[in-house]
Amino acid sequence: MSKIHKNIPPRWADRFLQWYCRADLLEEIQGDAYELYNRVARKSKRKADLLFIWNVLRFCRLRNIKKSTPSHSTINPDMLRNYIKVAVRNLYYYKYFSLLNVFGLAIGMSVSLLLIALISYVKTYDNFHEHKDNIYTIVSERIEGVQQLRYATAPVLLTEKIADHPKVDKVVRIRAGFSEEIKHTQGSMSLSGYYVEPDFLHVFSYTITHGNATAALTKPNSIVITESAALRFFNLTDVVGKTLELEHGGLFEVGAVMKDHPVNSHLKFEALISYTTLPEVNESINDQWMHYGREYVYFLLRKDGEVKRIQTELNKIAQHVYTDLPIKATFETQHLSDITMGPDYRQAIGPKWEMSGMIAFAVIAALILLPACFNYTNISIARALKRAKEIGLRKTMGGVRNQIFFQFITETVVITLFALGISMLIFMLARTEFQSMLAAASSLDLSLTPKTILWFVLFALGTGIIAGIFPAIYFGGLNPVQALKNKIHGRSSAMRIRKVLTVIQFALSFGFILALVVFSRQYRYSMGFDFGFNKTNIVTVPLQDVSPERVLSEFSQLAPVQSITFASDVLGLGHSTTWVKSASTDSLEVSQVFVDHNYLPTFGLTLLAGNNFPEEIWQRERFIIVNEAFLEAYGISRPLDAIGRTFEVERNQLEVIGVVKNFHYAPLRFPINKFFFRQHPQRIAHAHLNVQSKDPNTLFTQLETKWQKISERKLEARFFDDELYEGYSMYQTLLKIIGFLGLLAITISMLGMLGMVVYTSETRAKEVSIRKVMGASTYNLTYLLSKDYLKLMLIAISIGAPITAMLFNMVMPKIQYYSVTLNLWDVLMSTLVLVSLGLATIASQTIKTALTNPAETLRSE
Amino acid sequence: MKGTYLGELEELVLLTVGILFPEAYGVAVMDEIEKQAGRSLNISAVHAVLTRLEEKGFLKSSMSEPTEERGGRRKRIFVLTATGKRALEEANELRTQLYNQIPKMALQFRLA
Repeated sequence: MSKIHKNIPPRWADRFLQWYCRADLLEEIQGDAYELYNRVARKSKRKADLLFIWNVLRFCRLRNIKKSTPSHSTINPDMLRNYIKVAVRNLYYYKYFSLLNVFGLAIGMSVSLLLIALISYVKTYDNFHEHKDNIYTIVSERIEGVQQLRYATAPVLLTEKIADHPKVDKVVRIRAGFSEEIKHTQGSMSLSGYYVEPDFLHVFSYTITHGNATAALTKPNSIVITESAALRFFNLTDVVGKTLELEHGGLFEVGAVMKDHPVNSHLKFEALISYTTLPEVNESINDQWMHYGREYVYFLLRKDGEVKRIQTELNKIAQHVYTDLPIKATFETQHLSDITMGPDYRQAIGPKWEMSGMIAFAVIAALILLPACFNYTNISIARALKRAKEIGLRKTMGGVRNQIFFQFITETVVITLFALGISMLIFMLARTEFQSMLAAASSLDLSLTPKTILWFVLFALGTGIIAGIFPAIYFGGLNPVQALKNKIHGRSSAMRIRKVLTVIQFALSFGFILALVVFSRQYRYSMGFDFGFNKTNIVTVPLQDVSPERVLSEFSQLAPVQSITFASDVLGLGHSTTWVKSASTDSLEVSQVFVDHNYLPTFGLTLLAGNNFPEEIWQRERFIIVNEAFLEAYGISRPLDAIGRTFEVERNQLEVIGVVKNFHYAPLRFPINKFFFRQHPQRIAHAHLNVQSKDPNTLFTQLETKWQKISERKLEARFFDDELYEGYSMYQTLLKIIGFLGLLAITISMLGMLGMVVYTSETRAKEVSIRKVMGASTYNLTYLLSKDYLKLMLIAISIGAPITAMLFNMVMPKIQYYSVTLNLWDVLMSTLVLVSLGLATIASQTIKTALTNPAETLRSE
Repeated sequence: MKGTYLGELEELVLLTVGILFPEAYGVAVMDEIEKQAGRSLNISAVHAVLTRLEEKGFLKSSMSEPTEERGGRRKRIFVLTATGKRALEEANELRTQLYNQIPKMALQFRLA
């Protein structure tokens, strides 16, 4: 007998039985199950366990299952109507609070609406391809030493390796980066696209309107263009057989014309060029495996294929190929629908909506939305007293907790739906501005579709539930006796949470104000920054296809032009880099700009030692002028010592002829590094004119007339300083964004506080009146009512300031190397702004209460 | 009417309850049916039929003393009610009556 007792059926099954089984049936059912169990357990415990589980499952029949509390169904259409009616009445009676709530939630939701519209649009990317479910691309992770980089590209040799896989239907490679100027009657026009294989059109779905595209993509120098490109070049769409001539030589024959692809495509092109046009690859096989150019591999999986199998195959290939190579790499399949809003990869083929950016956006949206929800929660609970009688009565009449809970959720949902209406108005207003701020905005369509509206409504319902759940739980749990006797007191823990959340809200608002102050200072700082060179009275002219000599001869005839100099890049905006060898050290990367002998005087650069470039141009490049950072890198302490030393650059021995003071050759985002000027007429791309002119308009007209003599293209002359500062326009965008978000955050926190102040003023009206009768002054009373909020604000600032300051001093140098640091003045200024806004909000209510005639409030007692 | 109809399995269970008197409960009925009719039923099926028969008024039940092998739980003992007994008789009668109406020829033909 004792043996039997040791056998116990699986506990979870037993518990499960107890959980679902009706109480009146449990004993016999459990008894029978145990009896059978023990009978079998004598022979085999395992069998008995299985039998027990099986029996428990078999007993799980409708008639054996417990009924959920059968008496009150919460969602009853009649009651729902009543809830909505009461909700609307309450909204109407307490107009002021309703307005605060609706408006606050509307503002809170507006940013999220932008996010939802954006995501729902991005989700439609590439949904027009017929085989969209089976198209994959291969991404790679390249490991070189300790460096691991993730690329959207893959070595093209992979195509051969997986083409024979039985589950792969088709493999295509795409080479991006076709971007050429095409000759045209009026100057030239650019055309960009991809080199693709004929199967490209079988994998992806595009509509061919004229010609035979497959044939076109098989022949070399044959091209398929979109209808809009055809219209641009030829003014008609049926252009099969016509030719396009490149500026840099070469002819393409149009083999077919296709409809423009939809804008929501991650592949963006005007032209498809046959892959055979590309020159033969003459790299070794190993080099090809290590090379990660702009080649993309896409494949179409067979309908019966599993992508996992391909992945295993790729793993095998990667392992096999890279065994003897200095770098390692792994490949991974990525589904078409994951490309647009997926992880960040280098060299992505089209504009992407990176996951990281989306997450940042979502965090910001949540930071705006949650305080608004919290305000609602806060105000609702604070005003419990007003509703307590109603709830007490409902409970007395037999309403249960669930019903009260559901009633308040309904009420909140009604409010959020109102808020959604206003929020959509804000959304419409902010939409255009928002679109213009985003880089890839050109193909962004945020118009309302039934689907986005559906998402909006669902989102509003969700918001309503988040905002309403705590008040609903609170009201549902009210004790009817206390409620009817008006003996509701805020629980002290609820009070504390409320304070903490208010502080967080204010800290957030404070952070936004501070950000606004600091970034506007940063903007002014960048604008007035001393770059170390002269930037006024210089006009930059891109040479395009004109030779420097002709520009010089024409423009120097103009009276306002004092001098002309030529350079490869525009100082402060761009430069190239090269590698320098010297006897003593390893190769070092150095930034360079190619200039002529007039350059240094024109830009007012200071020579510390040595001379400027000589006027005569040598057949062979001979000299460089280096900066101080260059000297430092090579351990030369005195500028004079550097003169005459030679360095090997691109297999030439170049002699240091001069040393210039450090200046900002690159945008302020980057620190000053090793740099030199070189002389090389062939690299010249820009002319800089030093001009003395009172009237820029006449000057530009003069330039224009001269330019037309030497070129068919448009003159692109601009003032150098304008061009330089344009690079800092991102601060304006940033200020706009922070300003907008800050405005929302501050409005929400002020609305929240207003609600609280109105509530306190109402509840303390009698107290204030009595104090007044006792002789308290208006000032005393205002102070009494305001001091708690003032205290909260000051706590918020003392928490928010150090956190924001830390964040800034961490982030700012990454945005811009030469940046301002946050100082006490910024904090004081932001404090002043927040406190004065807060005081104005509080005072609007408290002064009114303090001024009320005591007789008005005390009479009713 | 739902109450009067007696299904095939119901009839079998009802008969078994009668046989096992006064010790008819879930597991015993299941075992007896297996022994006598060679039909292996799941205990939950037997239960379902027993409760249904009780609802129809053919059976009534009471709880027994707790037993050790059931982990100290009681059994629900079923006994036939008068209606149950009558239902069995009616079913039996109907069956015999119908059987007797089959022409001899038909049976012979079958056998042949």
